[in-house]
Amino acid sequence: MNKSMLIINRQSPWSGPGAREALDIALAGGAFDLPLAMLFLDDGVFQLMSDQQPAQLEQKDLAANLRALPMFGIDELYVALGSLDERGLNVVDLGIPAQPLVDSELSALIARFDHVITL
Amino acid sequence: MATLHVLSHSPFSDSRLESCLRLLAVNDALLLCGDAVYGTVPGTPASARLAPLANRLYALSEDLQGRNIEPDLSIQRIDYARFVQLSIEFDRVNTWL
Repeated sequence: MNKSMLIINRQSPWSGPGAREALDIALAGGAFDLPLAMLFLDDGVFQLMSDQQPAQLEQKDLAANLRALPMFGIDELYVALGSLDERGLNVVDLGIPAQPLVDSELSALIARFDHVITL
Repeated sequence: MATLHVLSHSPFSDSRLESCLRLLAVNDALLLCGDAVYGTVPGTPASARLAPLANRLYALSEDLQGRNIEPDLSIQRIDYARFVQLSIEFDRVNTWL
């Protein structure tokens, strides 16, 4: 039985390599059929914003890759509602569907997984 | 199913501590190493946030000593051997990279 892993993603999409690295971990794990999920927390929620134009920043599109996660067997995406609220965002602002969780649900989510990594 | 959360960044320049406290479960523990031990400087807001954790709060002794920090809150000072032991005792370790 493969061990499950939760990847907590708390970096904004274009500030550095963090967002891309978290995605790489997810895709690599998915390729090995590891049961993986991702939680978007803090500035990580900005990764999910709809209609971003990374070309303006001379960056590669992240959304296309995030949207492809289910094809790699990663269909559990979660977003912290508190982080959205603090940043003036709403679930409807998200271009990538993720299940919103309130603070009290976050610790229960973590407890479901064998491993956790926070980037 | 408890988690050991490991922080290594100073809470004065970073939001990891606040986020970690937000998702800390009742049985979880927090281990401070590196610059994260600056959060235990007496009289700081970070120290006040950490104080309620009491016996669920650990700090690497050498990181406190190396920075000459003397916390006035209840904290368990540990060495690397105990760090390894704790990593095994908890169900999982969440390192806030």
